[in-house]
Amino acid sequence: MDNVLQSAGGHETLLEIHDLHVEYDTDDAVVHALNGFDLTLRRGEKLGLVGETGAGKTTMALSVLRLLPPRVGKITQGSVTYDGIDILNASPKEMLALRGAKISMIFQDPMTSLNPVITVGDQILEVLKLHFPDMRREDRDAKVDEIMKLVGIPPSRKGEYPHQFSGGMKQRIVIAMALVSEPELLLADEPTTALDVTIQAQILELMKQLKEKFNSAMVLITHDLGVVAEFCDTVAIVYAGEVIEQGSVEDIYARKNNHPYTSGLFNCIPDLHTTADRLEPIPGFMADPTDLPQGCSFAPRCPHCTERCLNESPNMYLRGSHGIKCHRFSGEEAE
Amino acid sequence: MAVPLIETKHLKKYFKTPAGLLHAVDDVSFQINPGETLGVVGESGCGKSTLGRTVLRLLEATGGEVLYQGENILRYSKRDMKKVHLNMQMIFQDPFTSLNPRLSISSIIAEPIKVCGTLKDKGAIQEKVHELMEVCGLPERYVNTYPHELDGGRRQRVGLARALAVDPKFIVCDEPVSALDVSIQAQILNLLMDLQDSKGLSYMFITHDLCVVRHISANIMVMYMGKVVEYAPKDELFRHQAHPYTKALLSAIPTTDLSRRRERHALTGEVANPINPAPGCRFAPRCPYADERCKQPQELKQVAPGHYAACIMCQ
Repeated sequence: MDNVLQSAGGHETLLEIHDLHVEYDTDDAVVHALNGFDLTLRRGEKLGLVGETGAGKTTMALSVLRLLPPRVGKITQGSVTYDGIDILNASPKEMLALRGAKISMIFQDPMTSLNPVITVGDQILEVLKLHFPDMRREDRDAKVDEIMKLVGIPPSRKGEYPHQFSGGMKQRIVIAMALVSEPELLLADEPTTALDVTIQAQILELMKQLKEKFNSAMVLITHDLGVVAEFCDTVAIVYAGEVIEQGSVEDIYARKNNHPYTSGLFNCIPDLHTTADRLEPIPGFMADPTDLPQGCSFAPRCPHCTERCLNESPNMYLRGSHGIKCHRFSGEEAE
Repeated sequence: MAVPLIETKHLKKYFKTPAGLLHAVDDVSFQINPGETLGVVGESGCGKSTLGRTVLRLLEATGGEVLYQGENILRYSKRDMKKVHLNMQMIFQDPFTSLNPRLSISSIIAEPIKVCGTLKDKGAIQEKVHELMEVCGLPERYVNTYPHELDGGRRQRVGLARALAVDPKFIVCDEPVSALDVSIQAQILNLLMDLQDSKGLSYMFITHDLCVVRHISANIMVMYMGKVVEYAPKDELFRHQAHPYTKALLSAIPTTDLSRRRERHALTGEVANPINPAPGCRFAPRCPYADERCKQPQELKQVAPGHYAACIMCQ
């Protein structure tokens, strides 16, 4: 990977996840949510993390924040480094200083991620009280007004409760809460999935502007390839807890060389500009995370599956910035 | 000209709320011919699901007519309605809440047959259930499983099998694929289209996803706050959008084609309150072209053969 360290403040590589394995211990079986997850994020980079339900996208975000459900979710292997800090061995106190201040998260559902009995102004204020205890009271109030204006909600409404706002406005408030501490890294978990397309367009435009203002790095978790194409610089495709393809938006959306799963995803989307008579769905179902196949986890659904795929899991084969985890590309230079 | 399978004339559905009358569906007229699909598109809260339910009389209309093969079913008694429901069924949006968690898959699929009494013999019902499961791509081993054991795509197949159980001619599909992942969504869309070919079904396909609607529909109706703002054959609509709302809706869709990556024409503002709406165009507060004339009620006007839009720009 492009790991050139630049001496602009902290480390140029903001977040590095290496060979991360996460398991959920349930009554019935052990769910292997992440299986050797690798990811590198530079300062200011906008990364789109794409995958289907159950691919491990949200688990990755929760691992970075150390918010996996206690006792059930376990990190069994690997490392997460944030700006030189070893997250997996950080003390609870260190994590408190990171969470919400340096790393913020926007949760999927704006309807349930706000406290219904606290006014929205107080909920934004809470972030500042926690992370900037030395800030003067007037300054805090001014900051809340400023961030509300920024996300397009009149500050006069800060005394209102979440149920008095529409879905799109609630999501703006969640975004305001995530951004008020001016984080270096924003993890956005499906921030627009619950919203209508016209409101989604507004929210994405807003996040783009805010990102430019604060120059935060961002991981946009989504299942929508279209949103990624319009919003991100780089893309990582996740399948069964692994990044199976990564590269710049141009690398992936050129659709010349793709992992068979990525090609499958593209073929599933009804296109707005051409009419095909039939869609080409990916055959079969998502790999069962309690019982993962040997070798390449996509092999049972893959049209190009060979003997080798069933026995040996592929490496990430790189060509420039574009990496594909598939034996078909093993002719390229290996990592 | 042949009688359309389903037709509505000036259909209205208002809800009484403490704050006033909520105009959920306001003066909607359309026709669906046998074997055709009408796509109904709009944002959440625009009344598209209410329209689907009102057409099936799951909700009683406030005014207007619903004609099934030329007969107004809104005047039918409960018993007559049961016969009509043999021909009109529905698939619901959320495969997680629309199946009874305490019934096995075979009981769920057999229920409409028992309720409508189309088959009496137990063996014949079981045979029909197996046939339906096969048609919908459900392996036979799922017969005695319960909904929580299935994933979203398979549950939606159960919902479809249940709708097909009484051999209907018309199915209202209320966002049948929006809760599913794209790869599963494609499987279900293909299945719906195959069934349409083999059984000559008509669909009313309700969705907020214009890409899906383009894929499956013959005609498309765009709704905004209970009103139809544009109605056109699919190809005509995608070639030329007459109403500013349709234009905005199309430009808001993120595309995977990088050459089309462009500045969006993002709408400002949000959907206004549908309770006691002012007369005139309901889109006007968000419309970049709105002027004084928009305060007058807008009727659907023909802009091209078969293509109607309700906007001052189309005069």
